[in-house]
Amino acid sequence: MMNLIVIVISAIMLGLLLAWWLSPAFRAWIEAPKHFMLRQERRFDDAASGSRSQAKQRDPE
Amino acid sequence: MTNPVERSAYRNERGNTQSLGAVPSVEYGLIRAHVFASLVTLVFSVLFGILVATKFTFPEFLGGRGWLTWGRLRYNHTQGIFFGWLGNAFLAFFYYVVPRLANRPVLSRKLGWFLFGIWNFAVVLPGWTLVAAGFSQPLEWAEFPLVVAAFVVLAFILMVFQFVLPFLKARLSELYVSGWYIIGGIIFTMLAYPVGNLVPWLVPGARGAAFSGLWIHDAVGLYVTPFAVAIAYYVIPATTRLPISSHFLSMVGFWLLFFVYPLNGTHHYVYSAIPMAAQKGAIVASAYQGMDVILVVTNLLLSLPGSSGTASKDVPLRFVWFGVVSYLVVSLQGSVQAFMPVNRFIHFTDFVIGHSHLAMIGFASFIALGGIAHLWQRIPGTRYNERMMNWSFWLLAVGLTLMVTDLTIAGLVEAQVWQSSAPWIDSVRAVGTYWLVRTLSGLPILAGFVLFWISLVTGPRLSEAIVSETSRMASEDKAAFEDGSAAAHEFTLTGWLSNAHVIAFGAGVGFFPLSFLVLAILPGKELAHEIQRVAPVTMPTLTASEQRGRVIYGREGCAYCHTQQIRSLAADVRRFGAPTEAWETKYDYPQLWGTRRIGPDLSREFNLHPRDWQLTHLYNPRFVVRDSVMPPYPWLFSGSANQPTQEGLDLLAYLQSLGRARQLSGFERQPLASSVHTATADMAMPKEASARATPPSVPIAMTGGYSDSAPVLHPASNPGDLQEEVSRGAALFAANCASCHGSTGRGDGKASASLLPKPANLTAARFADERLSSVLWNGITGSAMPPWRQLPAEDLRALVAYIHSLHVESAPPSTQVSTTLGQAKSLFAAACASCHGDAGGGNGPAAGVLAPAPTNFHLKKPTEERAWEVLENGVPGTAMVPWQSQLSADQRHALVEFVRSLYGTPQEKSGQ
Repeated sequence: MMNLIVIVISAIMLGLLLAWWLSPAFRAWIEAPKHFMLRQERRFDDAASGSRSQAKQRDPE
Repeated sequence: MTNPVERSAYRNERGNTQSLGAVPSVEYGLIRAHVFASLVTLVFSVLFGILVATKFTFPEFLGGRGWLTWGRLRYNHTQGIFFGWLGNAFLAFFYYVVPRLANRPVLSRKLGWFLFGIWNFAVVLPGWTLVAAGFSQPLEWAEFPLVVAAFVVLAFILMVFQFVLPFLKARLSELYVSGWYIIGGIIFTMLAYPVGNLVPWLVPGARGAAFSGLWIHDAVGLYVTPFAVAIAYYVIPATTRLPISSHFLSMVGFWLLFFVYPLNGTHHYVYSAIPMAAQKGAIVASAYQGMDVILVVTNLLLSLPGSSGTASKDVPLRFVWFGVVSYLVVSLQGSVQAFMPVNRFIHFTDFVIGHSHLAMIGFASFIALGGIAHLWQRIPGTRYNERMMNWSFWLLAVGLTLMVTDLTIAGLVEAQVWQSSAPWIDSVRAVGTYWLVRTLSGLPILAGFVLFWISLVTGPRLSEAIVSETSRMASEDKAAFEDGSAAAHEFTLTGWLSNAHVIAFGAGVGFFPLSFLVLAILPGKELAHEIQRVAPVTMPTLTASEQRGRVIYGREGCAYCHTQQIRSLAADVRRFGAPTEAWETKYDYPQLWGTRRIGPDLSREFNLHPRDWQLTHLYNPRFVVRDSVMPPYPWLFSGSANQPTQEGLDLLAYLQSLGRARQLSGFERQPLASSVHTATADMAMPKEASARATPPSVPIAMTGGYSDSAPVLHPASNPGDLQEEVSRGAALFAANCASCHGSTGRGDGKASASLLPKPANLTAARFADERLSSVLWNGITGSAMPPWRQLPAEDLRALVAYIHSLHVESAPPSTQVSTTLGQAKSLFAAACASCHGDAGGGNGPAAGVLAPAPTNFHLKKPTEERAWEVLENGVPGTAMVPWQSQLSADQRHALVEFVRSLYGTPQEKSGQ
């Protein structure tokens, strides 16, 4: 059991590290979501600000 | 309420970034509802927790009603935190973040309100109500009854549609790590929760415990942890406006968590009957888990470069930061706790309770609070009071730090006492102050949570989405985003890898059967084989009354203070008897092994305490054990300890059945005396079940009975030393004996009303040292008097000295007796000698089958008044009957005189 766990985890880690090491495209691909997340956050903030501005224009109070 | 923007048409397959279009709608109404529900249930849950903690110091507090008893409040405390507080907080966060990460709205607003209703009005509220009413499961993190559990499963199925489906529809290749955690957590919990709830009802004892262990850990590791980490991974970059340090490392962390966390569960049952291969596998997985968390936390903290100012100024981010640090500490603590050299000492102690509070408050709750505060500032129409929020943070941080430190030390103190031979109650006494401090530490925590709530409903109304100054100053990182996107386009792996959501789905589905196969099903098969091979053919099942008692035992939460698993450790074996074997639990549906010891293990309760002691103890534990913190159960009685209801009798029957199978099976194969010593050598974990039968089922230190090894304890002869012993004995007597024998030793303690035979009036007889030594060493079979041989010899000697000091010389005989001593001798021979023996040595022909044994007048010398009283009234609860109607007053007086002539051992008499 112990050996199995150690071997499987080591193999997964090795595979991931090799992919990271050997492929710049893999690195870029796997890092892309963190930029996507930030862009989404900005879009939602902008949309929220925009909708509130519109609401303010309709109702200055 | 939703924002008025249309749904997005965004679709990104194979890395082709297209226009993101308009933002999808966000269900702000549902967010507010879940936030509100989370805070209401949080305050109630914490109140339950404070009540539970208070009862450690004041066990009678609110102790008269079943629905307010410790066990049921404890169930509602943990389930309230689990479902009410964290569940609602996570759901609120999902509604906020899923549209952002999936770029699609959640499936349906109507479904959302239905889910809200299910979660709060079919799970939390009915769960609390049913548990308070006595309908529950004695399964950790699955205490709500099965009918409620069914709604939990339904809710998770609905969550798949509501939150996972948008990801599947979006088919994003750029699935951010928070999305992975949300999908994986929902899928895994949907599968694991029903297994953790149902299987222990279908698979008994040790085999069921293997499944329970997995769910205990999955509840924290694959429900709480993924969702909390998802919040941390979102709030940090969303606040700083900087991308996380490495999405690659975050994904490595995700995969490791979902691979190794499910394999951790059996580390709750180290040194148990579960096969050692499974135990060691869980320990290795626990070590990997620690490494994984180092990776995750490093990545999260590296995501705050140059943003330490933001973390100190932005209170929501500070909450998350504190939670992340706690995550590191608690995870490393958890890994170390699983290691056998550590586990053997701290398992079952308050150390683990401190650990779980650090996990559920320090890690999960702080991050959830940070997530709520973060999103609250970004949804329309809310108020936000930063000053209050700041106070909330510090109150929580201070309260939690105090609580965890206190419980950690308390656990170490308990562990130390448990390693010794001191009576169990000494460990309770040793941590009394720590329990009081723990209760007090709950007050700032409660205040912090209340202030958090207030901070969301007071302060200025937010009219603009908050983007902190620091965030504005931070680069929008547009260049990095575009670079990343461009590079990603070049990465043309096959479609299966680009469909990240499918892989996340697979993580949840695939690791689920793997963990249960490896740590529950395969070990279960091995256990089933062993049980078939070892279990006695004639192993008795529980009677109907015992079965009902078992349900009451579970209902009242007894398993949360008393284990029913003696581990293969010298300290356990020395104190409780032979290690629990799988076959002993073959009829236990569900298992009641327990994971905590406030009271002693109950696996060997059979023949340990008499019926009257058990009933008195259940009615009010402090009637027989002065410093006990066990709750009273007066609702199992009709007004007094000797009037149990049917439920009281059922619970009694169950308690007295524990360990019966082992004792009646003749499983012991070696003499007791020698086996006790071999058992204490060290851990006993031989492969052969027969070898494990070496230690006795119950240590003779607990069961009492005649023992050749009983020392004769003579008090000091020097008056100064004797006085010191008497003083010391008085304190020991007050702590350990006065509950039954009364503060003055007259046998009129609180327990005396319901004990039969009544506790001895120690003032009404003079006892030989041999007699007192024997009773203290062996107890009195057939009575509630237990053996006290766990106490050090000097303590026993002090007790002997003190009991001697209680004796009051009676006045000389006041009645002229016409019956001669010779006639009295004949009377004694005819009426008394069959039990007391010809010479009054308590060794008559009938004595061997009487319990308690007849008095040996050589060693116990009742006063004349006492002897007269016994002849008139007998001794209820013993074979001594009243002789008032059968002997005249003259004859009885003569017998008293004759009995008094027997006092003293032959040696003493010859010395005279």
